[in-house]
Amino acid sequence: MKSIYKLLSLVIVGITFACTDVVDVDVPEAAPRLVVEASIDWEKGTSGSDQVIKLSTSVPYFDQLINNEVVGASVKITNDTNGQEFVFTDQGNGNYTTSGFVPVLGQSYTLEIVHNGEVFIARETLTSVTDIAEVNQSVEDGFNDEALEVNVLFDDPADEENYYLFRFQEQGDILPELLDISDEFTNGNQMKVFYEKEEDEDINQTEFESGDIVDIEFFGVSEQYYNYMQLLIEQYGSSGDPFSAVPVPLKGNCINTTNPDMYAYGYFRLTQVVKTTYTFQ
Amino acid sequence: MKKTKEKLLVLFLLLVTIAQAQNNVTVSGILKDAANGETLFGASIFLKGTTIGTVSNEYGFYSLTAPKGNYTLIVSYLGYAEMSRDIVLDTNQKIDLEIQESSTQLEEVVITAEESERVNIRSPQMSVSKIKVETIKQIPVVLGEVDIVKSIQLLPGVVNNGEGSSGFNVRGGAVDQNLVLLDEAIIYNTSHLLGFFSIFNADAIKDVKLYKGGIPARFGGRVSSVLDVRQKDGNSKEFKLTGGLGLISSRLAAEGPMFNDKGSFLIAGRGSYAHLFLKAAGEDNSAYFYDTNLKTNYKIDENNRMYLSGYFGRDEFDFGGNFKSGYGNRSGNLRWNHIFNDRLFSNLSLIYSKYDYELEFDSFEFDWVSSITNYNIKYDLSYYVNDKLKLDFGVNGIYYHFDPGEINPTSETSAINPLKLEQKRAYESGLYLSAEHKLTDKLTANYGLRYSIFNRLGGQYLVDYQNDLPVVYNSTLGIYEEGIEIGETYYKKGKSVKNFGTFEPRISFAYQLNDDTSFKAGYSRTAQYIHLLSNTTSVTPLDVWTPSGKFIKPQISDQYAVGYFRNFSDRKYSLEVEAYYKTVDNRIDYVDGSNLIGQNTIETEILNGEARAYGLELLFRKSKGDFKGWIAYTISKAEQRTLGGASGGPGINNGNWYNSAFDRTHDISMTGSYKLNDKWTFGANAIFQTGRPVTYPNAQYAYEDLTIANYSERNSSRLPAYHRLDLSATYRPNRKPNNKWKGEWVFGLYNVYNRKNAASISFGQNRETGINEATRTAIFGLVPSVTYNFKF
Repeated sequence: MKSIYKLLSLVIVGITFACTDVVDVDVPEAAPRLVVEASIDWEKGTSGSDQVIKLSTSVPYFDQLINNEVVGASVKITNDTNGQEFVFTDQGNGNYTTSGFVPVLGQSYTLEIVHNGEVFIARETLTSVTDIAEVNQSVEDGFNDEALEVNVLFDDPADEENYYLFRFQEQGDILPELLDISDEFTNGNQMKVFYEKEEDEDINQTEFESGDIVDIEFFGVSEQYYNYMQLLIEQYGSSGDPFSAVPVPLKGNCINTTNPDMYAYGYFRLTQVVKTTYTFQ
Repeated sequence: MKKTKEKLLVLFLLLVTIAQAQNNVTVSGILKDAANGETLFGASIFLKGTTIGTVSNEYGFYSLTAPKGNYTLIVSYLGYAEMSRDIVLDTNQKIDLEIQESSTQLEEVVITAEESERVNIRSPQMSVSKIKVETIKQIPVVLGEVDIVKSIQLLPGVVNNGEGSSGFNVRGGAVDQNLVLLDEAIIYNTSHLLGFFSIFNADAIKDVKLYKGGIPARFGGRVSSVLDVRQKDGNSKEFKLTGGLGLISSRLAAEGPMFNDKGSFLIAGRGSYAHLFLKAAGEDNSAYFYDTNLKTNYKIDENNRMYLSGYFGRDEFDFGGNFKSGYGNRSGNLRWNHIFNDRLFSNLSLIYSKYDYELEFDSFEFDWVSSITNYNIKYDLSYYVNDKLKLDFGVNGIYYHFDPGEINPTSETSAINPLKLEQKRAYESGLYLSAEHKLTDKLTANYGLRYSIFNRLGGQYLVDYQNDLPVVYNSTLGIYEEGIEIGETYYKKGKSVKNFGTFEPRISFAYQLNDDTSFKAGYSRTAQYIHLLSNTTSVTPLDVWTPSGKFIKPQISDQYAVGYFRNFSDRKYSLEVEAYYKTVDNRIDYVDGSNLIGQNTIETEILNGEARAYGLELLFRKSKGDFKGWIAYTISKAEQRTLGGASGGPGINNGNWYNSAFDRTHDISMTGSYKLNDKWTFGANAIFQTGRPVTYPNAQYAYEDLTIANYSERNSSRLPAYHRLDLSATYRPNRKPNNKWKGEWVFGLYNVYNRKNAASISFGQNRETGINEATRTAIFGLVPSVTYNFKF
């Protein structure tokens, strides 16, 4: 639904004399914070035992995102029902890993990170995902009825509210495309999402063509994480244009119990995921 | 409630009785333009050598009461030659007056009285700006389209959110806090093409009055301002065609006498055709608008006249065939002017207006229709009690129907389920009495009271929340979340869900130091019961109007203003200085991450807050001679604060005051026109404004292989300052006196030095390099235009 605004601003830019250019802007600088990328994703049909948590710190907006890994933290996840602990090992490069994780659908887990004497806690429940029914391609659908797009179809379960996250990435691209969707307007129906690329010379982007390969990941997510990602994706895509919402600080679920004002950026998520690839014909 | 009405009635009757005096006689009538028979609003009519005077009302009616005797009656109106006429006042009499436009006469008359655009020294009314359409037409504009909404932004205290945004902001108020009336009908969206043009066709408009404060008691329902736009009645003397051909759009208006000279009509149409060029150039996207104005009136007899007016406008967008959108206003008004006697004038209006928008998504195979409709009945009376006292009183009632949206699949294969959001209904009524009272020769007061009632009606389900809290604070995560639903209650149609009543006192004084100088001071309270929900930077046509009710309280504003007014140098120049302070209670704002689209339970996304604004406004004007124009300067501050209240937590922006999106520290506008000779007239605008408050990122981090920005405190940064210069030249070719055809060419240059004023700056990651960038969107660079206007 938010795409309505995105479209509106495209209409404005497309139809009027509007022009856009890249400018230098002075922006405020906030003190660095811990960034937690604790994405515990259980791929359907695997054991889900190998998991990675990434820790880093935030940097000023126009700086390079380098040398900001966090090492020396202690990281563990606890199963809230049986108390089983999964300790993640510091790999010295910002990654903390385990190969013994036991995922249980619908189970609540707690993440605890101790870093520089401060304790960060997050709690989340592992959410299941339905299967992908079909992946196909088309030309006339999508935003541009002359460009190729890949379509992913799945059957939404009727008797519950469902929240989904898609991650598309064409092989060779440096950045993925994220898409959030819920069954708010489509409960119980077969749902379809598509990924299409517009030609854009400024960023050297071309439309899909035969032979292009796209990696597709389809996550079942909790409502709270969905709300977080919806805001993250919206602000990532269109912050500051006249028809986007006023951007706001993004708060995840990793709270700082030692110093509550210094909550961590990022999120502790637990999802079930279906992965596939599609090659354009 | 009933008791209040009775009290008001008693008060009114008392005042009327006191006011009777026997030795006085009254002269009354209708004031018109001699050339086209248009009634004239706001002209001064007074008796020479006395302090007895009045101002013609919206329908040209005037009434003067004076002791018996011989007098010289003087009529004065800016742009018109002053008229004087000797009258013998021995009995009550009716004198209809006609005055000539000064340009059609020799320059023999020296204008000496108060006039509409110049400062009115005596009247306590302050914070009001009246612009005649003739003046607006001389202001250079983008693309050659005369634009009323852009013109009022040249006045102090009025800004908007930049090019390409709808509406306007008055004294730090939001767009929805303006009551916009077109022939008394409420207009919900003033923009065509998302704000590039206004919906008002200057050829069909007679005059425009903007109340920035000190709103008279006869208006209610909005807390910031009233923009009162009146359509022309139509030429009652002869048939005329006017029109214009421009690059973007063209217009045509026809007017003339009808009903055997007992009435007249005006019909005007306007349409854009730039999309045809875009189509021809292979552009898939298109946008166009059109609108029509209609007005007719019929004089039944000396004391009764009927008016019918209508407006229909539409915008259509097509984005590559996959996304279509349309929106528009329509309105109609049937009016009956009745003159009871030479001192009591009345007008009854039946008004309908509707705003709707629709969206069609071919990509997602659904469409969406949303609307707001109202029916309004209004009865206003003016009683010219004596030369010291005039009373205005009346009642009105508005029935609203809100249809926030209906979503329907447009194909068999669509995944979208049909959804109809809850319809909302409400009834708003008002009762007012106000007096313009000359207390002494120097001191005039305007005092009045409006009592407004708002009744949110049933006919819908409302969600019940745990602890009655639609928004709750999650103290663990430090965010606001939707409250917990515990059930639903159905409120029957016609049953009241919630009732509000507000006393709205309005009072102002003018103290005249001398003929050319006065001080004024005023206080007014206004209530607003319907709200436009928009969490986007710019108001869009898709924003939803919603009534007050169980969860949303009415906005209440208190405004205090003082002013100094002075005319100089034989009234060639005038200076107006005003300072104001205003507060608004119950100004809602949106919690972080709110989602307003397709939202049945808006209350779960908002918190009740407050707003305050203060500023100093200066307006220096030259309104006579070949060179005319004004300089307007405003220094101001507009802020809001939204605490957590019953929902808990610190509130939005940690409960701190933050700049409202309409805060501009400095705002300077200069506009001028110079008449070189009968053929050439030149115009110029220069504008400088502090950049609007925006929210910039203060950090970044990697997440999901993307660079994510973290944003700082709400509206804590600013866009670069906005400034530009516009020029125009009007060429009127040689006109033979007998030639009925009169044409003129208007050449315009908008943004002469081609400044790329940022309409917005957005932050994001370059998808090729992965590096963060700030991208500026500038809407109009240098835009040349040419328009040909004609009249015959």
